[in-house]
Amino acid sequence: MGVQDDLAVVAAGQAAASAGLGNALGERAGLYLSVGYLPFEQADVDVLFENSVDERGFSMQRFSSQAYDAVNPLLTFRCLSNMPAFHISANFNVQGPYFVTYPGAGQFYIALDQAYHALSTGTVDIAIVGGVAHQRNFLVHHHFGRVEPPVHALSDAGACLILESAAHARRRGATVRAHLSQYDLHYEPHDPFETSIVPHETGADSGMGPASLPVALNRNRQPVLSHDLVAADGIRASSVWELL
Amino acid sequence: MRRRVAVTGMGIVCPIGHSTEQFKANLLAGQSGVGPITLFDPAELPTRIAAEVHWDGANRLRDRKIAFALEAARQAMDSGRPHGEGGLSLGIGLELFSMPDLCAMRRPDFAMPAGLRDRLTFLQTPSDLCVHMISNEHGLRRPPLTHVSACAAGTDALGTAFRMVADGRYDWMLAGGTDSMINPLGVGGFCRIGATSVVNDQPERASRPFDANRSGFVLGEGAGMLLLEPLDRAFDRGATVVAEIAGYGNSFDAWGISEPHPEGRGAYQAMARAVKDAGITVDEIDCINAHGTSTPKNDSVETLAIKRLLGDRAYRVPVCATKSMIGHLISAAGAVEAIAAILSLQSHCIHPTINLENLDPLCDLDYVPLRARRYVHHVTLSNSFGFGGQNASIVLKAVHA
Repeated sequence: MGVQDDLAVVAAGQAAASAGLGNALGERAGLYLSVGYLPFEQADVDVLFENSVDERGFSMQRFSSQAYDAVNPLLTFRCLSNMPAFHISANFNVQGPYFVTYPGAGQFYIALDQAYHALSTGTVDIAIVGGVAHQRNFLVHHHFGRVEPPVHALSDAGACLILESAAHARRRGATVRAHLSQYDLHYEPHDPFETSIVPHETGADSGMGPASLPVALNRNRQPVLSHDLVAADGIRASSVWELL
Repeated sequence: MRRRVAVTGMGIVCPIGHSTEQFKANLLAGQSGVGPITLFDPAELPTRIAAEVHWDGANRLRDRKIAFALEAARQAMDSGRPHGEGGLSLGIGLELFSMPDLCAMRRPDFAMPAGLRDRLTFLQTPSDLCVHMISNEHGLRRPPLTHVSACAAGTDALGTAFRMVADGRYDWMLAGGTDSMINPLGVGGFCRIGATSVVNDQPERASRPFDANRSGFVLGEGAGMLLLEPLDRAFDRGATVVAEIAGYGNSFDAWGISEPHPEGRGAYQAMARAVKDAGITVDEIDCINAHGTSTPKNDSVETLAIKRLLGDRAYRVPVCATKSMIGHLISAAGAVEAIAAILSLQSHCIHPTINLENLDPLCDLDYVPLRARRYVHHVTLSNSFGFGGQNASIVLKAVHA
């Protein structure tokens, strides 16, 4: 498992435990997860580079023989954006529907929106809604160093919420910890090659990518959490949570 | 009140066609799009074949999958813009990085490119860029949905868009998938886990779903996009309705990282949920467009799941595998295969599963081997199952005005 997978599983496990759920969530539980940009560690990049280069630069001959044998075959799986979702499903026997998206805090809201509708329509009884990002690595640093303005304060983070309808929570005698009292979600189309939107977030730590809001909710000790987001990808969102 | 959802536009760029007309002709003719890799020198990689897109516009951007998606979206929108505010639901591929760029970065005189466009495409292009480029080009003002459920992403994109339109959350949606992993890291990575066929000397025969001699999938590339809107509004505006999306289901295997549940539990659940969502019975399914990867494990397990779903009828319902011709388009697979299924529904003809010469004893259904079959059918179930046990199915119906 990669760092992002570890974060996702630990966060989902903590959320399930705090909600009084076991490790076998079954067919009526769905997963709605936003993951960060593709992580790739410097050490893995170094192995690839050192075994793929000759005096002229990149050598496919060396890549196909030296690097091919040198890299960990499981690296392929660590690179797939759906792996955190796989590890949560396998560890907690989640067999219900899913929505797996990426890469930022705006997409957490879209995952939240999908979970809300799945609960509203009775598609699921329980929705695990999470954000997870492994950002302190070579490739994510590269990405955030080239955008305008560059983003330097990046954290690794993962957090999940367990959402369920009020009726379901009552039936199983669950302790209700928060109400989502309002949320808004908007989008402004733009050309990403021409326009840089300066991101802005209040109520949460913007360096945590898609995990910012669920981390803030897990940390919050105030009766109300208000979150406002202007994401670099044109998504604007806000929500108000009443913490009980 | 749930609305019926029509497909009123389709766009495609794939190894056997850069338009729906060309794709349909080659699909029904059983044309293979697999050949030697030309996009880079595969040198000593075990797999040196793939289903490449040979289209002039492919290299207009450094990331081919963005060019594919933009073109497929333009084609889908050619049928006319529906009323109201639209959104995008897109399955996108992995952001692999460029090995030549990585090596260039290590040179002592290296400097990052100056312009935003050059910086964002250097080393690696974030996959979500094409979501915003398409939204911008077509003025899609509703928040876009980006799906990263690997090989199931294209079908998840269609299914989620179907639900959004059916529930009235969005007025209409462009939905589909795009992918290109035919590059050193993509091909090398799949080789390293033994997933791809190594039948390099006969590329056109390498992708052989359900065949006893199948040895792995063949990597493909491309994009498929569909325009979804409420059926009644489509008729009102005089749009040509090519099909209806009637149901969607997805599931986790909650089992293995690369291998399906041995009894096809997750695949069955996705199919059964799609059928239930469509409000039909399994007896109304009269064709299945299979995930059919040509890997030893997928094809036999998918067969088991279909048998569980259809019971004794399984032996009488044709099952076809588009991947036999175009390879595995990963995040684009579900969208392109949905288009294949719709073209089959429209033409009363099921495309063949080519290269199916020696049936695997564990794969004992009617897979429409070798040649297309004249067959009037009305309801097709289309499957996509991903690495990591994410399974998605949609129900497609013929529409008669």
